Amino acid sequence: MTALIIDDEIQIRRLLRMALESKGYTVREAENGTLGLQDAVFHKPDVILLDLGLPDMDGVEVLKRLREWSQVPVLILSVRDQEAVKLAAFDAGADDYVTKPFSTAELLARLTAIQRRHGADETANLALGGLILDPAHHEAALNGQPLKLTPTEYALLAQLVRHAGKVVTLKHLLRAVWGPQAEEQTHYLRVYANHLRKKLEGAALEIKNEPGIGYRLEER
Amino acid sequence: MSTEDTLKPKPASEPVPAHVVGQFSWGLTILFVLASACWVLLPYTGYQFSALVFLMTIVIAGTRWNRGPVLAMGVVSALVWNFIFIPPQFTLHIEKPQDIIMFAMFFVVALSMGHLITRLREREAALEQHHAEREQLLEAKHRAELLAESERLHRTLLDSVSHELKTPIAIIRTALDGLGQGNPYAAEIETANRRLQRIVENFLEMTRVESEALRPHLEWCEIGDVLHTATAPLQRELATHPLRLTGMDALPLLMLDSRLLAQALGNVLHNATLYAPAGTEIEIHAALANDTLELRVRDHGPGLPLGSEEHLFDKFYRAPDSPAGGTGLGLAIARGLMRAMKGDIEARNHPEGGAEFTLRVERVFQLVPSDSKSPQTIETS
Repeated sequence: MTALIIDDEIQIRRLLRMALESKGYTVREAENGTLGLQDAVFHKPDVILLDLGLPDMDGVEVLKRLREWSQVPVLILSVRDQEAVKLAAFDAGADDYVTKPFSTAELLARLTAIQRRHGADETANLALGGLILDPAHHEAALNGQPLKLTPTEYALLAQLVRHAGKVVTLKHLLRAVWGPQAEEQTHYLRVYANHLRKKLEGAALEIKNEPGIGYRLEER
Repeated sequence: MSTEDTLKPKPASEPVPAHVVGQFSWGLTILFVLASACWVLLPYTGYQFSALVFLMTIVIAGTRWNRGPVLAMGVVSALVWNFIFIPPQFTLHIEKPQDIIMFAMFFVVALSMGHLITRLREREAALEQHHAEREQLLEAKHRAELLAESERLHRTLLDSVSHELKTPIAIIRTALDGLGQGNPYAAEIETANRRLQRIVENFLEMTRVESEALRPHLEWCEIGDVLHTATAPLQRELATHPLRLTGMDALPLLMLDSRLLAQALGNVLHNATLYAPAGTEIEIHAALANDTLELRVRDHGPGLPLGSEEHLFDKFYRAPDSPAGGTGLGLAIARGLMRAMKGDIEARNHPEGGAEFTLRVERVFQLVPSDSKSPQTIETS
């Protein structure tokens, strides 16, 4: 498994290299956007950690150029914590966003989460924290007991479970569950996320809200 | 007929402005004076001379007056010339064919000159006004560009300062994570690093709040989510101060900037954990009345020092006997955030002890559950 770190801070790169290598990653480094894009072309990394404040171009621009030809999972790693910056990164195709300073454990969990999405089987049962979803029959069970869900609740939960550990944007959820015309109707989501939270009480799962961005399903 | 006239027909009922009435009377007076003068001079100049005098008067009037009075002067002077000066005098009858032609020419020249000159002036005025408007527009655009530019500069500066300050903190944090738990020295560094991070974040946030670059981003949100966002970064501090929540479940979805509200609430909660003794409860009560959302945060600490209520929200204000490690910015930021949302924050001592902070947002849109577009009805259909 190869990870590419695009960051201009050598200390950050060194520390990330140590943390990632200890988890079995092969690590490549690039100190600016141009070198990063070149490396991505020639070495096809399995995951990219991208800083936004690069010396030669903005990280969002790097991401846009990358997304013209590649769907490799990208984790944004930046000191910028404003909602608008995060939204721009997600719109450009980021898979998740971690603000610096970050906890290494959390960073590694997010990296695993954004890679798991790729290659997930659409019809296989989804299991997470005592919850089992059966996509073929649209049924759910929690701790061995059948869980009663309306079709909308099921669709929403399935989206969150499929992307467990990773933030799923409001836009993505609304489009996937209610259709493309509902992209702006965030109140649907707020109400249903609340229903789901009540039904999942007692599960080892938590539906976390990322203000203005989306939801993240995490194991407690 | 000029285009202006056909495009903007004046309603018949519109009263004639006073200055136009003045021009009519002045015009008639001037014509009367000139006609008298020409009458006196008639033996020396001949009757054609007075026609030229009238024409000149009309041209001069046209450069200053409105079209109506000028055209009226044209008609009146033509008739006066005919009646008084063209032989036979004191009849409208004209004897000589060349005089008939001259009268007709006078008529045409007077009317067209009056018309052309006033139209020219009107066009000029319209053009000038157009220029003025254009300049105003350009100036407004220029101002907006300058403002955007200064905001952009500010943001760039804030971004780079924030990068320079947060990067070393991030490096220390990651290095400490690599060292692992158990080392008491590392634990001290970590505590200091967290403190440093909070200070840096407070300074940056204060700058952001003060630069008015803060624009609320409204979205439907649930007060539970706001609370969750507010408490997530405070897990350590809140471990010793259990929260008691009331009134949250009764609230509908509200149109708010959940991030700003959560941050303000978080700062107030953090403040409470600093002053209230460990083990005491912090109560949060949420209520919505008359479209005003109120969040009351009450602690069971010693309460606010007398007279400090006024200064609590000042920048860098620290109450006497405050614990070390604060910047005196948390509550100032909270107030800045609340005001950015057109809300406010107040503090008082609760009658039964402890400090009570009230965060208030007025005119909040709420999602009425019976709304036909609400998800509940979609669900059942």
